[in-house]
Amino acid sequence: MRARRLTGSVAAIVVLSLTAAGCGLGGSDGGEATAGGCKVDEGNVGSGELTGDVKGDITFQTTNVKKDFGDYFNGVIKAFEKANPDTKIKWIDDPGDATFTQRLVADAQGCTLPDVVNVNVNTAIALTKNGYLLNLDEKAPDAGKPFTDAMWKSTTYADAEGKKVHSVLPWYSGGILQTFNTELMEKAGLDPAKPATTVLGLFADAEKVAKASDGDYYAFLANPQHRIPADWQQMGIEVKSADGKKFTFADDPKTVQWVEAMTSLYKAGGMPRDSLSSTQDPANVYGQGKLVYGPTNPNFLRFIQQNNPTVYEKTGVAPFMLDALGHTVGAPQYVGVASTSKNASTALAFAQFLTNAQNQLEWAKDPNVVIFPSTTESLKDPFFQKVEGTDPFAEARKIVAKDRETATADEIALTPGELNAVVAQIQLAMQGKKSAQDALDEAQSKANELIEQGS
Amino acid sequence: MAVRPLRILDKAPAPTSPGAGAPRPGASPAPPPPGPLRRVLRSVTPGPAPDAGGAALYRKWWLPWLWMAPAVVGVTVFGVWPFLNTLILSFTDAKPLGGAAGFVGLDNYTRMFGDSDFWLATRNSLLYAVIVVPLMVLLPLVLAVLVEKNLPGIGFFRSAFYTPVLASSVVVGLSWQWLLSDQGLVNTWLQKGHLIKEAIPFLSDSWLILLSAMGLTLWKGLGWYMIFYLAALGNVPKELHEAAAVDGAGSIRRFWHITMPGVRTSMMLVGTLTGIGSLRIFTEIYMLGGSTGGPGGADRTLPFYIRDVGLDPLTGNAGYGAAVSVALFALTLGLTLLAQRLTKEDEA
Repeated sequence: MRARRLTGSVAAIVVLSLTAAGCGLGGSDGGEATAGGCKVDEGNVGSGELTGDVKGDITFQTTNVKKDFGDYFNGVIKAFEKANPDTKIKWIDDPGDATFTQRLVADAQGCTLPDVVNVNVNTAIALTKNGYLLNLDEKAPDAGKPFTDAMWKSTTYADAEGKKVHSVLPWYSGGILQTFNTELMEKAGLDPAKPATTVLGLFADAEKVAKASDGDYYAFLANPQHRIPADWQQMGIEVKSADGKKFTFADDPKTVQWVEAMTSLYKAGGMPRDSLSSTQDPANVYGQGKLVYGPTNPNFLRFIQQNNPTVYEKTGVAPFMLDALGHTVGAPQYVGVASTSKNASTALAFAQFLTNAQNQLEWAKDPNVVIFPSTTESLKDPFFQKVEGTDPFAEARKIVAKDRETATADEIALTPGELNAVVAQIQLAMQGKKSAQDALDEAQSKANELIEQGS
Repeated sequence: MAVRPLRILDKAPAPTSPGAGAPRPGASPAPPPPGPLRRVLRSVTPGPAPDAGGAALYRKWWLPWLWMAPAVVGVTVFGVWPFLNTLILSFTDAKPLGGAAGFVGLDNYTRMFGDSDFWLATRNSLLYAVIVVPLMVLLPLVLAVLVEKNLPGIGFFRSAFYTPVLASSVVVGLSWQWLLSDQGLVNTWLQKGHLIKEAIPFLSDSWLILLSAMGLTLWKGLGWYMIFYLAALGNVPKELHEAAAVDGAGSIRRFWHITMPGVRTSMMLVGTLTGIGSLRIFTEIYMLGGSTGGPGGADRTLPFYIRDVGLDPLTGNAGYGAAVSVALFALTLGLTLLAQRLTKEDEA
């Protein structure tokens, strides 16, 4: 009897301690000014161009591309090694899951960041802030030349002292454009040849969809997470203060207008009621022929072509609503060079080789991928300029290539936590539980709280 | 089949015949367990004291620790240490990405008690426990009683009830999403049967999302606890049922007065396990309520809230997350002790 109770208690304690074992104590940081707590080559930090021969071994890390593009990367690596004898590149491919940023920062703190590393915008911010990436303004002043002006100028992140620096080379991006079901548009009395050019214009069109559809189809999904902060940036709303220390979106009357437009459209039935907070994928719902407007990434067209050919045939494409901003924003994939690298010259040379116009164009031409280069020269290639027939996909390629010439990288990247905090409040407004202004004020204060607790 | 002797401990003279101990082909019937095993058996049966030499080996103070070492190490490294770590973290402002963590005293706890989102998550977690636990203790027992009988084809039902346990939470979540959506199976049927006019907002009303998630948890757990009860039911003496039946007790009465007392220990265990489990709900809410945890985050449970405040790589605060984790621990411990106390009173 007693034995039974004892084992019961032990089991309970074990299970209980596991419930509370959620977090671990992070490593401590020495706080050295150079590259975190890592000893680095003197030439890697401070002012002055990088010197040193291009030879020796480096590691190069990509994110989840080995399975599909192994041949391309091996080709690039071989070409580099051939052009630079005595170099050897060890290629590793990270699966790129949800803990990517944590893992990479942990690598950096352990002084084992790969010499050349592919990073996304959030990781680039975190690594630059802690000084783990080579400052290209100092170390390679000409690094920006191959890239489009708009992209290069906007690719800067704050270093440890809060100064905006170039720490990464822009690589490929997915692009952005409008996609829509032309048949449903006509049903709703809209002209597919005259798609919206402003965000609020799109909402006005969507209201017409709500009136005509009677619940048979919808304009787009309701969950605000699909539209924030892209819609706001496009409308010229200042989402965050210039120093990035607090959110300011709630102070702009245009944001209130936007929330009111979302609320009114939701109430009118222009969006599926059950998609307010759901994880439904808009690509799937569009593929079922239930949405007038599809997702805005060109890669989605490939998906529809393969999975719903009949819907694909009815799909039209148009440039994204440029609205007040006049160009689109979206951070591309980046390539950074570790400031902790023992062989920074070779690493930098390879990073530049990988992102040069020729290599970027070659990859973009791979039929298994829908990506757009960041280099000016590649975008002029006939591959992006020639459109044959009325295939939506070919049209999209031309539209997006044009868009890339002026597109900038300075998207406001909300962290998942910030996005959830903001989206949750707007959902309440859409349900009519809060006024637009109240919801925005609350959203802003919650998001600011997150910035504060994280800094 | 002969029992393989425990060679390592066998201090007794080596067996004379070569290859003894390995099962010999055709050897029958099984000989009594040789060496120490027999001694152990003897030592637990009443009778004259066993020979001193072997038994002394079992009295070495360190021997139990040696046997327990793998488990103790595992529990220490993966349970106790992380727990202590969390406790320490909860008094700091540590960040998920590391960096210097400063000691902030009780700040995290003060913030927590004034945090309305924390209380909402606590309410949701407690509601989950209060509603799910009693159902999870009773329904699988009923199921087990139903499928216990050896009827032809009963195996199909046993497997069918168990299948949800094996399916991944995400797959199950997706199917429930599809079932419960405005144009999903449930709403379509109800509308076709003219039971409702407007679709029921299972996935957009925060109360309905919470209840639907509970339904999902129940549905997925039924089979698992049914297996617990099936094992326990085998130990309920058949004679009692027969005697009661002879005395004219119906099946419901026998369920209340014979079956339930017979599996009481298992019910306590299931109650404790589901109590702990229901305070750890995350996936169900995420699948049905999305990444905000329902519109406005109104369906967030405590683990969901810990994710939101503590784990975001750039804006998370592991210290505050740890404080909420400790609160979750205290809540779980409290409920478990309460359950034990209630059972003890029951026993008296």
